Amino acid sequence: MLKIQEIRELIRLVNESNIVEFVYEHDGSKIKMKKAGAAEQVVVATPKVDVPQTSVVQQQPPVTPVVEKVEVKEEAKPEKQVVATENLHTITSPMVGTFYAAPSPDAAPYVKVGDKVKKDTIVCIVEAMKLFNEIEAEVDGEIVEVLVKNGQLVEYGQPLFLVKPE
Amino acid sequence: MQSETRKQLLKLFTEAGGAFLSGQKISEQLGCSRTAVWKHIEDLRKEGFEVEAVRRLGYRLKQMPDKLNANEVQLGLKTKRFGWNVYDQESVPSTQQLAHQLAHEGAEEGTIVIAEEQTAGRGRLNRSWHSPKGTGIWMSLILRPSIPPQQAPQLTLLVAVAVAEAIQEVTNIVPDIKWPNDILVNGKKVAGILTELQADPDQVRAVIVGIGMNVNQKQFPNDIAPIATSLALETGRTFHRPKIVQTLLQKLEQLYGQYLQHGFLPIKLLWEGYAVTIGQQIVARTLNGAIRGVALGITDSGTLKVQTEDGAIHYIYSADIEIKKE
Repeated sequence: MLKIQEIRELIRLVNESNIVEFVYEHDGSKIKMKKAGAAEQVVVATPKVDVPQTSVVQQQPPVTPVVEKVEVKEEAKPEKQVVATENLHTITSPMVGTFYAAPSPDAAPYVKVGDKVKKDTIVCIVEAMKLFNEIEAEVDGEIVEVLVKNGQLVEYGQPLFLVKPE
Repeated sequence: MQSETRKQLLKLFTEAGGAFLSGQKISEQLGCSRTAVWKHIEDLRKEGFEVEAVRRLGYRLKQMPDKLNANEVQLGLKTKRFGWNVYDQESVPSTQQLAHQLAHEGAEEGTIVIAEEQTAGRGRLNRSWHSPKGTGIWMSLILRPSIPPQQAPQLTLLVAVAVAEAIQEVTNIVPDIKWPNDILVNGKKVAGILTELQADPDQVRAVIVGIGMNVNQKQFPNDIAPIATSLALETGRTFHRPKIVQTLLQKLEQLYGQYLQHGFLPIKLLWEGYAVTIGQQIVARTLNGAIRGVALGITDSGTLKVQTEDGAIHYIYSADIEIKKE
């Protein structure tokens, strides 16, 4: 079962988003939220576990939920749509390449969830053909989520981090 | 950094090409008194230049010190922009680090950082680069191309071509390029390139190109001896490092100009001329495992195309490449 803070966070996130109805089922418990005066039905089916606490809303769209009456265009870029409505800043990759969370394989990552960052804080490296691009946070704020794994190939424009601006 | 007067003086000696320059002519060209000219000549002597002074004939440069510094690089330099703003250091942790800082502070395109020794020279993923005193070329160059960041990786291939061409011109050895930009002679690494970017999401602010070249080393530490070599070891001769830097800067400036004007295609063709990877059985090692197959070639953006046994084509953006021997 989710903790009360987590439910509160969920309510806040759903409220701020343009999701109209939200259902979360896990281990026999079920949470259902529906905005008042909702004309459209949007059902989001939650897949099994491995959904970390507060990031539920952000994580659902990419795992192919059942979404009805939502424009195809929005479905293609689920992260961006949700993020924009939540006022979070998305750090995207400026090029195709390998994502490195740390300056070297045995070093600590540049940033982790909960870290405060400044505009010019280096959050990761994207490398292609031995050209190393140190990616900066672009805003002052707090890292809310790391969206990719160390060593992963990332696309041009792919979201890497979510930052809650200060 | 050095004074404008010093730069002009070196340009004059370059143009004279070993002939005498009268004190009168130098003082006119530099716009200073003949006493001031004499002082500048004295300064050159203190730095190890051998300057001959003959009454009624003037000054002649007889010998240059085996030093890699701004004077040496600029004496005989034929570029327009690259290498005319030089930060020379006896010893630095890494020339890349200093160049990064200079780029942040607004250093102009073509600025270079050179050092006789790096105490913390580094390569990909902070791997260390052996850079002992006075033996090689440890240099960083600042570029400011007006291109989006996703095009910047092409520059690493461009730099590889420039390094290969410079080595070929100075030594007559034809080096190999292993994708993307290792420079090999007889299968051993003679030069490495590390390129770093300072960029906004849609625009490159600066590209910091780090080049490490093994020139006059007579031996390497045991752990890297099987994979590293120097120009001296390969040819049995020693080389004047400033001459190599000059050739390198000239090649870089020329290819960079071509790239900005005509795009990546001409660079790609030159790169393929040196490429040793293509058509070979290779293993591409990434953080997420290895891909084994035949390297088919590079794409128009410089990405390596590898075909695995099942016929599938993989596009490699970053990996350590091992060429399988037959």
